[in-house]
Amino acid sequence: MINKNLRKLSIGFLIAILVAISAFPTGNGLPTGITSTTTTDTVIANGCTCHNTNQQATSSVIVNLSLPTNFTSGETYTIVLNISGGPNDLSDGENQGGFFVTASDGELTPIANDTYVQKPFGFTHLTHTVEGNDYREWTFEWTAPSKDDISVQFVAYGNSVSGAGDGAANDYWNKKAITLYGVNAVIEVETNEDLSGPQKLIYAFAIIAVTLSVVIIGNQMVTKDQGFEDVLKGYWKAIYPWLTTTDHKYVGILYICTGFAWFFIGGILGLLIRWQLMEPRIDGDFLTYEEYNSTFTIHGTTMIFMAAMPIIFGFANYLIPLQIGARDLAFPRLNALSYWLLPTGGIVIYMGYFTGGAGDVGWTGYTPYSSGASSTVPGTDFWVAGQIMLGASSTLTAINFLVTMLRMRAPGVTMMRLPLFAWSILITVFLLLLSIPVFTVALILLMADRTFGTLYFNVDAGADPILWQHLFWYFGHPEVYIVILPAFGVLSEIITTFSRRPIFGYTSMVYAMATIGIISFIVYGHHMFTTGADPLFRFIVMLTTMLVAVPTGIKIFNWLATMTGGSIVLKTPMVFALGTIITFTIGGITGIVLASIPIDIALHDGYFVVAHFHYVLVGGTIFSFIGGVYYWFPKMTGKMMNEKLGLFHFAMSFIFFNAAFYPMHNVGLSGMPRRYATYDAALTDMNEFISIAAMIFGLAQLIFVYNVFYSYRNGEEAGDDPWDGWSLEWATSSPPPHNSFTEIPTLKVAEEEE
Amino acid sequence: MSLLEDLIFFDNPSIWNNFGGTSSGFGGVVWQMFIWSVIVGLLVITWLFYNLVYFRRNDGDPDPKDALKAGVFPHERGNTVIELAWTIAPLLLVTWLTIISLAPLNYLWDVPDENDEDTLTIEVTAKQWGWTFEMPSNYTIPLNYTKCGEMDPEGNQMQNMRVTYDCLEIPSDTKVIFNLNSEDVLHAFYIVEIGIKQDVVPNLQTVAWLDTGTVNPGEYNIYCAEMCGKSHSQMLAKIYITETA
Repeated sequence: MINKNLRKLSIGFLIAILVAISAFPTGNGLPTGITSTTTTDTVIANGCTCHNTNQQATSSVIVNLSLPTNFTSGETYTIVLNISGGPNDLSDGENQGGFFVTASDGELTPIANDTYVQKPFGFTHLTHTVEGNDYREWTFEWTAPSKDDISVQFVAYGNSVSGAGDGAANDYWNKKAITLYGVNAVIEVETNEDLSGPQKLIYAFAIIAVTLSVVIIGNQMVTKDQGFEDVLKGYWKAIYPWLTTTDHKYVGILYICTGFAWFFIGGILGLLIRWQLMEPRIDGDFLTYEEYNSTFTIHGTTMIFMAAMPIIFGFANYLIPLQIGARDLAFPRLNALSYWLLPTGGIVIYMGYFTGGAGDVGWTGYTPYSSGASSTVPGTDFWVAGQIMLGASSTLTAINFLVTMLRMRAPGVTMMRLPLFAWSILITVFLLLLSIPVFTVALILLMADRTFGTLYFNVDAGADPILWQHLFWYFGHPEVYIVILPAFGVLSEIITTFSRRPIFGYTSMVYAMATIGIISFIVYGHHMFTTGADPLFRFIVMLTTMLVAVPTGIKIFNWLATMTGGSIVLKTPMVFALGTIITFTIGGITGIVLASIPIDIALHDGYFVVAHFHYVLVGGTIFSFIGGVYYWFPKMTGKMMNEKLGLFHFAMSFIFFNAAFYPMHNVGLSGMPRRYATYDAALTDMNEFISIAAMIFGLAQLIFVYNVFYSYRNGEEAGDDPWDGWSLEWATSSPPPHNSFTEIPTLKVAEEEE
Repeated sequence: MSLLEDLIFFDNPSIWNNFGGTSSGFGGVVWQMFIWSVIVGLLVITWLFYNLVYFRRNDGDPDPKDALKAGVFPHERGNTVIELAWTIAPLLLVTWLTIISLAPLNYLWDVPDENDEDTLTIEVTAKQWGWTFEMPSNYTIPLNYTKCGEMDPEGNQMQNMRVTYDCLEIPSDTKVIFNLNSEDVLHAFYIVEIGIKQDVVPNLQTVAWLDTGTVNPGEYNIYCAEMCGKSHSQMLAKIYITETA
């Protein structure tokens, strides 16, 4: 029955999407380049852009603006602006300085016949003329607005130059803002500066959270007729076991929930990025460029370290002891410590938002940009500190799992009889143990550079400018396999269970994963094809990168061969697994395209790369783990998840995921670089399409959230083995008893059974 | 032009034409990459749907002989010949793709000698957030090169200076070598429509080069492609390839 409906539904969706994309018009304009936006707005946001040098304001330049004490409506005042200090503090000479002044109301005008001050056509601000460039004092007029019960904001910029006339680095500028009140204005106490976009969002969430808790607690107090303290005590009783637990099942669920919570926060950041890119915006139109940099940095960091990895280790926590027949992990307290470092580290990273902007160095944090404390926002220090905590958490987890899986397997569970998910986690923790300490150490060096003034990454002091990239990608490339290998494990489990047949080529699957693990350490240079690294090094990693396709191909073909000759049951977990095969294959193919250096040079740091890694990370890892939630939810809660909602969730996710990320390949080929807050107007239609699809993809995930809560309350009883899986977690009850197994099981072997 | 067409056809960066881009037809590395991608992708998707059509479980079907049982490690299943086949086939494919990448790579990395007759070496300096271009001291700027010149008092475009900011005018039919230097952080020199990209690294001179004989004269964009701070996406420049009069 469900098959027929599904077929109709999927055909309907396919037709709808074909109509949608063929009807959707796109501009066929030739690229014209990004419009540079040096308008009044950008000058105010970025400071003086006069000579493209020295963008930081310096206090050595003193800007003075002679204003009356207040103004009456309609009157015209003469205002003098002068600058002193700076590189060329002479009484006269050529090319001494420049200025720029704006007023929020009224009208600024040059004095008649004054050749030193001009008002550019179409603007409201005043600036110096070429002649006016030889002076350090300028006079102009300001006509007050028709109302005098308001205040007017004047902003003056002064630029003191060296006199060489070449815009050299020793040109300095400063700004001064003054508020002038009308005679009848009520003088207000100065309030804080406007909140930035992300800050508003976070405050809004805080207000919603507080309101919700007041409503829920109030509701409890009224309906149960309890006092405030009793209600809180009741909640405390429910929360306390979660705060103090060392049970791998509880910690696992904590990990999974935390991971998905960050996944949604990171998703909102992703949608902020898409909203910014809905049209080519100028600075501050939605996000300022600085906020945009923070947004993609925190989006990347959140998704990789705080969403994907916790979800993976949540499942590993829950399932590994069950699959190998152990009662718990080897070091349960260490496990709890690993977990609690995760939300702590995450909160430290997000603390940056309250210091004037979260880390803005990209998730890769390339030095020397990230090591120069002055050029980045202070939130970067929080980003570094939080990342160190997350690194420590992962290292401890790796040790814990390695010991557990090598020492605590039940009788009959030999290495070559581990379920493939367990194998994938074993290889993952090996990679983790060998790679993440390198990153943590690099972060500690970076922190020392930023905070204590050491010179590990200081280029002027002779440091290797691409040392950081080597350290980072030595970790960073194994990291992406750390994220994808467990997904392979989940796919293997789901596909074999729902095909009702053993996996095709178990041994070659294990060797393929091990090969991927080994290769992952010798391919990292492919992130550095365009750096000045040694050509021989780049050539070798091109060869090894191509080789990754071989074991990955083996895995995909083995899954398909498992299905061939099987008896396929098409339930939500299986549908997600099959969708993952398609999206991951596309992501894998573009990976090979990018491995070829001559092609990568054009595509590097562009949207083609963005499309590639979203196809493997979202289309690979996240899709398979959402499938994993549908698959193991009955084991964790004892309730089945709703099939209809699940299939609907899949259809929406799959269609709109592809609609959002497939066009990014094209945008990338057209030359849109990643991490750009604006773009060529010729690409507007394509970007708009991507943004809309991405928003629907984001909204579709709410179905999943609803399904989880709905099924937790109303789901059918699952029983011990609802999907007829074989591995040991299906041999215990759902949910498993306190110590996981009432009696340590023995894994039997099919050949000996008969 | 609809989005559907946009998703299938695309303009490739013009440097790919030098080694067989999509527009120059069969045989080049880009074309082969594209074709093999489609073949492999279709193979996987077709096989997947074939499985779904022919091996679906219907109600009342008997369990397969080697069906899974909880707590029992399943039968070994596999076929060495087939598994070897799909290990070796991808290996051959990626070997082939690597081999055809070598000639373009050799072309890109074979930077012309600065002392040759028909080369022009330009010193490029990147800093937050702008580009400075400096022509060699013995280079005579053609009189018709005015795209990057300032205005004279009458509002006429003047001839280019030896040093220009965020703007560069270079002759066609010349091998242009860009010596890239950074004053502060990492940047990347990226000529968008042509597809040339090279990181600009402080304390390490990197080199990019372009044979302007292979591209049409006209206006092109230079972007910075490596995150370099607040106004990264405004670190833009224009490059004009002009025929000498």
